[in-house]
Amino acid sequence: MNKDQDLPLRNDIAARFVPKIIILMVYLGTLCSTFTFFMIHSTLLWEEKLATHLSIEIPFFSDSSSNDLQTQVTDLLQKTPGINKVEVVSKTEMKTLFNSLLGEGTSVDAFSLPAIVDVSLNKRDAFNVENLEMRLKNISPLIQLIDHRLWQSQVSNLLFTTTSLALFLTFLILCSTLVTTFFATRTSLLIHRKIVEVLSLIGATPSYIAKQFQRNTFKQGFFASSIGAFLAFLTFLGIYFLFEKAGHTFVVTTSFFFEVLAIFILAPFITSFFMMLSARRAVMKALCS
Amino acid sequence: MSEMIGELLGVGHQYDEGPEIFKGVSFCIEKGSFRFITGLSGSGKSSLLKILYLGLKPKWGSVRLFGEDTFQIKPTLLPFLRQKIGVVFQEFNLLDHLTIIDNVSLPLRVRGVDIKRSYKHAGELLEWVGLGDCLKSYPPSLSGGQKQRAAIARAIITRPQLLLADEPTGNVDDEMATKLLCLFEELNKTGTAVLITTHNQRILKKFPYPQLALREGTVLQLPVEKKAA
Ligand SMILES: Nc1ncnc2c1ncn2[C@@H]1O[C@H](COP(=O)(O)OP(=O)(O)OP(=O)(O)O)[C@@H](O)[C@H]1O
Ligand SMILES: [Mg+2]
Repeated sequence: MNKDQDLPLRNDIAARFVPKIIILMVYLGTLCSTFTFFMIHSTLLWEEKLATHLSIEIPFFSDSSSNDLQTQVTDLLQKTPGINKVEVVSKTEMKTLFNSLLGEGTSVDAFSLPAIVDVSLNKRDAFNVENLEMRLKNISPLIQLIDHRLWQSQVSNLLFTTTSLALFLTFLILCSTLVTTFFATRTSLLIHRKIVEVLSLIGATPSYIAKQFQRNTFKQGFFASSIGAFLAFLTFLGIYFLFEKAGHTFVVTTSFFFEVLAIFILAPFITSFFMMLSARRAVMKALCS
Repeated sequence: MSEMIGELLGVGHQYDEGPEIFKGVSFCIEKGSFRFITGLSGSGKSSLLKILYLGLKPKWGSVRLFGEDTFQIKPTLLPFLRQKIGVVFQEFNLLDHLTIIDNVSLPLRVRGVDIKRSYKHAGELLEWVGLGDCLKSYPPSLSGGQKQRAAIARAIITRPQLLLADEPTGNVDDEMATKLLCLFEELNKTGTAVLITTHNQRILKKFPYPQLALREGTVLQLPVEKKAA
């Protein structure tokens, strides 16, 4: 005989519907957490890029002075300490950019496009942007320095909003799982009222009775949430390959991959652990009051 | 003076819509005592035991068990008081989804005894009450008398300090009834206080112990009857 079977909990009505709810909840919860991690990762990568990148716009003149300006600017940049890389955005790249904005077949040569120099810095904090801007203005007052950091606060805001929203959703999902467990346990206690009464009369402590429910809930929860997490993992892989196929590369770093894997593996343990606590709370509350 | 393990003082009770079944019932249960509770059907014998095994809170009076006032005691301590009491319920209250050996070993498991030891103990006891062949049977497949013997085995397996038996011989023949009463006497000799409700006049004659007679809601202490030949 099995020690967890002083109560015939496995054949409960609750045992039939609770696992289905848990599967759905864990499925939604893990996908939601994966989305959160994805958002955090992509925005952090983006933020880092914004913080260490400057663009310099050199106006176009019909004579050759544009080229001279460009040389002067790149010379200055190469001599400035703290700059990691200086790259002039090529005509073809500009063309692709413009075509995507204005439609295929637009001739870029028809516009007097400025030249763009992409500058990436070693370390943001040590670099004096104002000083560089002043020196660029000395070459020509028409040269513009665009500091991408201006976007950074907006990106941070976006990161904060989406992360909090996704975390809040995950939290709500976990809470509803626990509330479901709580009430399913209460129902189960009512169904087995007579047996619980006999157990109490022969000296079983509320804790002993609660343990019966806990074990059953943990097993049930672990099984159901494993299925939910597995289905969510399949969905994640599906979305990933669909994106790849459509040509959008997912910004997936190795650490992101491991974090996601950890979510899928840990979800059943975390969910069933909290479900177990919820079942215990339901029994103790009913029997000790 | 012998040690007191239970005391009822001015206990009265009335179920929700029923009449008052007790008024001012007072008596003591001494350690190692052996007594019968008698009375007509419906006189309140089972209700009185229910109060003693803490399954019913009387409306009036006070109940002290093992030195604790059961009205004042913290709910968390109730199970430990109940662990000192063995109960044979009139309706047996065996758990239908458990085998007989699981039912009988349950009080030991509840007290933390490991499965192997509790099975060994329960097996021996069931053998003694003549249920050695039914260890793996389920209660619904047993006769009334067999269930009763299983219920008795479950009540005494922990060697409780107080045994409350509600009509423990109601479903068995006289020979088995005598055997069970001898078992209770054995237990009583080891210090367990025994309180048995019964209608069985032959048993009352054969085992001349003091009686508490329930009459019109009060308890009369009857003198010891002469032992039958
Ligand atoms: N749960 C209950 N709710 C309402 N009334 C009850 C309840 N249990 C018992 N009674 C009533 O209390 C009275 C005493 O019942 P009790 O079962 O204690 O009698 P008894 O002496 O054990 O009877 P018997 O010898 O037939 O077993 C009866 O009138 C019964 O109808
Ligand atoms: Mg009765």
